[in-house]
Amino acid sequence: MTLADAARLAILALLVAACVFGLLTIGSRFVRRARERRRTRLAAPARRMLLALAAGDDDPDLVERLAAVEPQVWNAVEPAAVAMLGKVRGEAHAALVMVFVRRGAGERARRDLHRWGAVRRARAAEVLGNLGARNAVGDLCALLQDPDPDVRVVAARALGRIGDPTAAERLLHSVAGRRGVPPQLVAHALIKLGIAAQGEVVAALESRHDIVRAAAVEALGLIGAAGTAHEVERRLREDTSFEVRMRAVRALGRLGSRAALQPLIDASNDDLPVPLRAEAAEALGDLGSPAAAAHLGTLLCDPNYRVAHNAARALLKLGKKGFATLNEVAARPDIGAVPDRSAAHALEALAIAALEEERRAHAAAPVREPDPPAEAPATSSLWEAVSSGRRFSP
Amino acid sequence: MTAILIADDDEDIRDLVAFKLEAAGFDVTAVDNGLAALSEARVSPPDLVVLDVMMPGLSGIDVCRQLRAERSTAHLPIILLTARAQEGDVQVGFGAGADDYVVKPFSPKELVSRVEAVLARARA
Repeated sequence: MTLADAARLAILALLVAACVFGLLTIGSRFVRRARERRRTRLAAPARRMLLALAAGDDDPDLVERLAAVEPQVWNAVEPAAVAMLGKVRGEAHAALVMVFVRRGAGERARRDLHRWGAVRRARAAEVLGNLGARNAVGDLCALLQDPDPDVRVVAARALGRIGDPTAAERLLHSVAGRRGVPPQLVAHALIKLGIAAQGEVVAALESRHDIVRAAAVEALGLIGAAGTAHEVERRLREDTSFEVRMRAVRALGRLGSRAALQPLIDASNDDLPVPLRAEAAEALGDLGSPAAAAHLGTLLCDPNYRVAHNAARALLKLGKKGFATLNEVAARPDIGAVPDRSAAHALEALAIAALEEERRAHAAAPVREPDPPAEAPATSSLWEAVSSGRRFSP
Repeated sequence: MTAILIADDDEDIRDLVAFKLEAAGFDVTAVDNGLAALSEARVSPPDLVVLDVMMPGLSGIDVCRQLRAERSTAHLPIILLTARAQEGDVQVGFGAGADDYVVKPFSPKELVSRVEAVLARARA
């Protein structure tokens, strides 16, 4: 065989391969579309019933009729039913759950929790969470130690959705160890368990794992367990982990309790680490107590930029008293040639507030007139107004 | 008949909301993205708009801002329907000019009540 023959043969082989590949692509697309059309056709009558049920239609026969549809029809409509299960609540959700229960989806999902494939285990956990299956809480708690990280995440979310407070302890301890669940996710699941989980969360504050105590402190803040302010404050004062203390500061701000004011003021003292002080300044804003205005005003001249900056932003959240403090500091004259840093922080915060106010007014304005011809940019005029001593209020 | 425009890229939610609102006696037009919502609202302004927040391309917040900024659509009552439930998200929604904010998972019956309430306020 000559070189030219070999080249011709190679080109021919490539052409054949390209044709086969093209035909396979077209064929698979055709099959997929045909399958989708068939599924849509099959699902059509059941989908109508599903929409009526998910819309909260009061027809009592709907659940029975949907529960009795042929298996291939249910298979076609099930993905939409699962999607709606996670997106509606109230009577509509309860009616959908009844259909799934009648069709044995709960039992099937519980069996699937032990399958080899991670996707099936995750899907089963998702279904059980959407069904609010309290009888699956034990199995889902076990899944928090699943070798697959995605399955662990879905299990934590499902436990939050089911809302059984007995899962709180396992959820909290799932953040520790080699197969840990992200603490933020656990905190959000704990919020859904609500105040009933408070006892378990407080108990976890004594855990020997720093990360468990940190998650517990954060969860108390997110749940809004105002009655636990003293427990959280004790963590802020005594905990050996810096991360726990930082989260305790954040939680105290979120709790919004009067008892959180003094501990947060103490946490901003200049003998403590800067990140903690900066966090405390921010948390005083979250707390929203006008009684913090005077202290935040003194923090404006803190030599650390972050502490002073956070104090200025926090004052914006304190309403009239916070604005009065900012205006007062902003109007302070410079001492000699040294510019007053506290005034600069106050001016910056006031300018941000003014811009925000303008943005809100613009969004709420019913009609926008055509832009006027060349005009100074809004920001510079605002800056001029702020710098010239114009007083701003919330 | 009161006309309502729905924009949601999730077909199931779009169909569900349209089904419920039609059953409640509204004339519903449904689209699957923000741009289509904007052009539909410009061509034939509805009496109320229900917008999903997270849509490909133009988000519900962007559509809301645009509708508020234009003379012909500035008055339209707007309800945001979204899975974003954080305090900041709600603030952004109202800041963009929305009249109401409904978080998913939602109750379809409650949505109809909110639509009726917002329409009543707009007509008052």
